[in-house]
Amino acid sequence: MIFVAVGTQFPFDRLIRAVDEWAAQHALTGMAQIAGGEYLPQTLQWERFMTTAVFNQHVQNADLIISHAGMGNIITALEHRKPIIVMNRQHALGEHRNDHQLDGLAWMGQLPGVYTATTQDELYALLARQHTLQAAPLDNDSRRQTLVDFIDQAIRASTTLSNRT
Amino acid sequence: MSVKPTLLAISSPGGHWIQLNRLSVGLEERYRVVYAMPAGLFTSTSLGEREPTRKVYSVVDVSADDKWRLIPCALQVLYILLKERPKAILSTGAAPGAVAIWLGSFLGIRTIWVDSIANVKQISRAGKLAQKRADVFLTQWEQLSDGQAIQYKGAVL
Repeated sequence: MIFVAVGTQFPFDRLIRAVDEWAAQHALTGMAQIAGGEYLPQTLQWERFMTTAVFNQHVQNADLIISHAGMGNIITALEHRKPIIVMNRQHALGEHRNDHQLDGLAWMGQLPGVYTATTQDELYALLARQHTLQAAPLDNDSRRQTLVDFIDQAIRASTTLSNRT
Repeated sequence: MSVKPTLLAISSPGGHWIQLNRLSVGLEERYRVVYAMPAGLFTSTSLGEREPTRKVYSVVDVSADDKWRLIPCALQVLYILLKERPKAILSTGAAPGAVAIWLGSFLGIRTIWVDSIANVKQISRAGKLAQKRADVFLTQWEQLSDGQAIQYKGAVL
């Protein structure tokens, strides 16, 4: 069971088609959120847009999330303990206003639980080994909690902590 | 019942705002969190379900291309600081947050900068500006920390 989601701003037919064709070849079921896309999935079920509650339910039901390189989807996937593959939109193909999603891919790929693909070949290579893809470990939560607690302490601290020069 | 101290949480929309929210949710129990962000992209989806209970100021956005906007942005931030009297300012970037850190530091408000998780190779440009005045300056990538002026204490993801 896979869930592919492209966000609400732009369509991303290239990604939807690639995943849909792969699903057809591998007898895989799944759901696609396709925004204003022209390509309508043949194998995957699809919706153009969905409420946050429905979206989260699909994330919960999926074994693997596939997404455009958007921060919101990454956070949602990691918080539901699902591995996520992200693929960048390309400006040259008219998929976005610029190529900032390609720049983003470099750091996103360093996050635990996040896998990146820039081409359909790379996407298919990841899908071929989808059962080896791991969700972010639980200690990711502790990374955030440590940061929040440190900020709390830093607010309460006296000026002795100051590094102002 | 003791009154919670006020925290001003300020960022640009998009990824910065998402990161700011992931941090501030954990602080809302302990602080009265007041928010500020550039309007325009101020939609129900960008603000989320929690917004009706939140106090969110809108400020003018600033980027490297339109530095003149620093002036109205600074005036708005100054107004918020004088009105809300926060104990501390928290920002995840970008330029409006750096403006708040500068003004806040001159007003004796505690200032904390968390550089965006997107800055994996080097500290952001706005971060470098904020670093001159921030009391606490944090990166979300261990390799960017120098253990003193730039600290790593965890990450939102």
